Amino acid sequence: MDFNLSDEQQMLRDAASRYVRERYGFESRRHLVAQGIPESGHWAAYAEMGWLALAVPEADGGLGCGFVETALVSEELGRALVLEPYIGCAVLAARLLERADAPACRARRAQLLADLAAGSTQIALAHGEPDSRFELDAVGTTARAEGSGHVLDGTKLMVPAAATAGAFIVSARLDDGDVALFLVPRDAVTLHAYPLIDGTRAADVALTGVFVPADARLSAPGSGLMLLDEALDRAALAQVAEGLGCMEAMLAITNDYLKTRQQFGQPIGRFQALQHRMSEMFVDVQETRSIMLRGIASLDAEPAARRRAVSAAKVMLGSAGRFVGGQGIQLHGGIGLTDEHPIGHYYKRLMVLEKLYGDSEWHLSRFIEAQRA
Amino acid sequence: MRFDFAPEDEAFRLEVRSFFQEHLPKDLARRFHIGAHPPERDDVRRFQKLLHERGWGAPHWPVEWGGTGWSPLRKHLFMEELYNADGLDFSWQGLHMVAPVLIAFGSEAQRQRFLPPMIAGDEFWTQGFSEPNAGSDLASLRTQAVLDGDEWVVNGQKIWTSDAQMAEWGFFLVRTDLTVKPQRGISFLLVRMDTPGITVRPIVSIEGGTELNEVFLDDVRVPRENLVGEPGMGWTYAKYLLEKERTASAFLYFNKRELEKARDIARESIVRGTPLIDTPEFARKLARVEVDVLALEYSVLRVLSQESNRHNADAVVSALKLRGSALQQRVTDLQLEALGLHALRQWEHGEGETIAADEARRWPAFVPGRTAQALIARASTIYGGSQEIQKNIIAKLAFGL
Repeated sequence: MDFNLSDEQQMLRDAASRYVRERYGFESRRHLVAQGIPESGHWAAYAEMGWLALAVPEADGGLGCGFVETALVSEELGRALVLEPYIGCAVLAARLLERADAPACRARRAQLLADLAAGSTQIALAHGEPDSRFELDAVGTTARAEGSGHVLDGTKLMVPAAATAGAFIVSARLDDGDVALFLVPRDAVTLHAYPLIDGTRAADVALTGVFVPADARLSAPGSGLMLLDEALDRAALAQVAEGLGCMEAMLAITNDYLKTRQQFGQPIGRFQALQHRMSEMFVDVQETRSIMLRGIASLDAEPAARRRAVSAAKVMLGSAGRFVGGQGIQLHGGIGLTDEHPIGHYYKRLMVLEKLYGDSEWHLSRFIEAQRA
Repeated sequence: MRFDFAPEDEAFRLEVRSFFQEHLPKDLARRFHIGAHPPERDDVRRFQKLLHERGWGAPHWPVEWGGTGWSPLRKHLFMEELYNADGLDFSWQGLHMVAPVLIAFGSEAQRQRFLPPMIAGDEFWTQGFSEPNAGSDLASLRTQAVLDGDEWVVNGQKIWTSDAQMAEWGFFLVRTDLTVKPQRGISFLLVRMDTPGITVRPIVSIEGGTELNEVFLDDVRVPRENLVGEPGMGWTYAKYLLEKERTASAFLYFNKRELEKARDIARESIVRGTPLIDTPEFARKLARVEVDVLALEYSVLRVLSQESNRHNADAVVSALKLRGSALQQRVTDLQLEALGLHALRQWEHGEGETIAADEARRWPAFVPGRTAQALIARASTIYGGSQEIQKNIIAKLAFGL
């Protein structure tokens, strides 16, 4: 057992911390949101610093790091509420491509991973549907065999960062009922884009008679859901890391406020009720870090143990995020509810993190099922 | 980072497990499982001797005094196995509290005199810190010791003195200097509990046990050499002993074991033909507690393996105490919920150790002791620095508030 970072990991964290501190201040972020998140140069910078290549195997031109590195970067990005789809692309899509096991896609897979790591193409998973809620296998989108390829029809709900994605990984049900993953280029689909509450943008993705050739199929027969399940666990755990960054930032911002805001002739941080609230928030953040580490420890375990550990972490992110987020606003009083103050934006980001890739209640059920398995 | 135990440590875990399986007498395990408070003195003695003969009487002590030299992670594995075997984590006042102080600050004569019978289970200790008007505000204690020739004459009153009824010795915080600020005038004194002038009065706690006591000291004469270290340094030594066991306050082993017991009870309890554990309501409640226990385990491991945390280390330990003590109550409450009406029966001392065959269908063996334990668990958020004190500490150390 050793929870300390290697020198390289320490450097990676420091670099990420420095980048968001210097280049991703709250005001410049507001500016990005107001402009609808134009191409800002941040993504190229992430690629430059190697963050997009962390999880990509060395054989595919990546850095082949473990998940600790991914978690470190996710946490630092969480502190700054970055808007780019780091987890959706560099964690989730990268993992799906890495594990893509359909022989026909081999050549495209390598090229896509290289493009993803280099930052030249963003790739997004289009999986959830209007009626699927969080259920993994509730896939209504169909993939009808035609010639050596398939024709896809269906609608995917709320795909994060769809507007900037160059390609989608789409889940669809084959004629035999098996769920498979397909690579679909951006220009083959219709997007209905909208903002989310945290300032990021998502889109519903409509697929109408989209033909994809044989080498677009990513998953071998019988493995589509398994690949999704495993990759989504990584995304969910990276979200816990990102949420930790949000919560740590909220603690620091709130603490500053308690020391400067004067009421009744003294800084409000002198009041014990407020001190105790901060201490309770501190405990939740500590425990969330512990359960995240436990999740990392179990990522390569057998599936039931992995699900159990990751879902536990996601459950705790939900409860801790609600408490720390809510009390972060509460301790600020009215100013905490204003758009110009960062604290409420952290709250909204935590709300998004709670729901994407399975909400707390869904993960609690999954935790219980994994326990019984 | 590395998240597994070394193979040698895993082998060690199995060695400890098989030791308890082979050597812990069944009658002791059963009584410890029920958990009478306090346990019988003879049971404590037998258990301590069992460990001592194996060389594990005080794993955390220096090797020269009978310790094991185990790493913090090995001690962790040992404690986990001890708990899982329904072993007794007792003799805290002696082995874990006064001994480290004697080892660090006591005289060679004090160590020679007190450590061997302590590790052998022949002498037990009690702690005299709290007073009726000095609880969370311990520095305001008033029990006084005045030097008269070669003896300290002690007058005052202590309360919540755990195990005083069975202890040969007590370590007391007493005021020896009234002229300095409160923390500076306190000394650390070792007192034989059968000294004339000492009266021990048991306090019956809500579950019916008598582990806690009041101790009255009237002109109690204590040899001068029984003062530990320097006069006026008692407060420093007391803080040292409280900080010595940094992760113990997480109650991790208790919480893990008792959570499993809650699960066992819920498996055996049937609601309309379905085991309680398979009902969504109970399963979800259990799962939420379990998630917190899983996190707590890693919090303990992080401290034990000396993670460099960006937050203040003492604040992190207070967070362990806050979460761990609250979990004691949540876990034991889950057991009571699973027990249903069975939770309401008052079991007399010793009752329930064996349950007659004709009664066992109505009163399964897992019932006795659970409610008493849940009642005692209300103390876990009070002693060793209450929840509120821990929150004060975190606010100060982590946030500078």
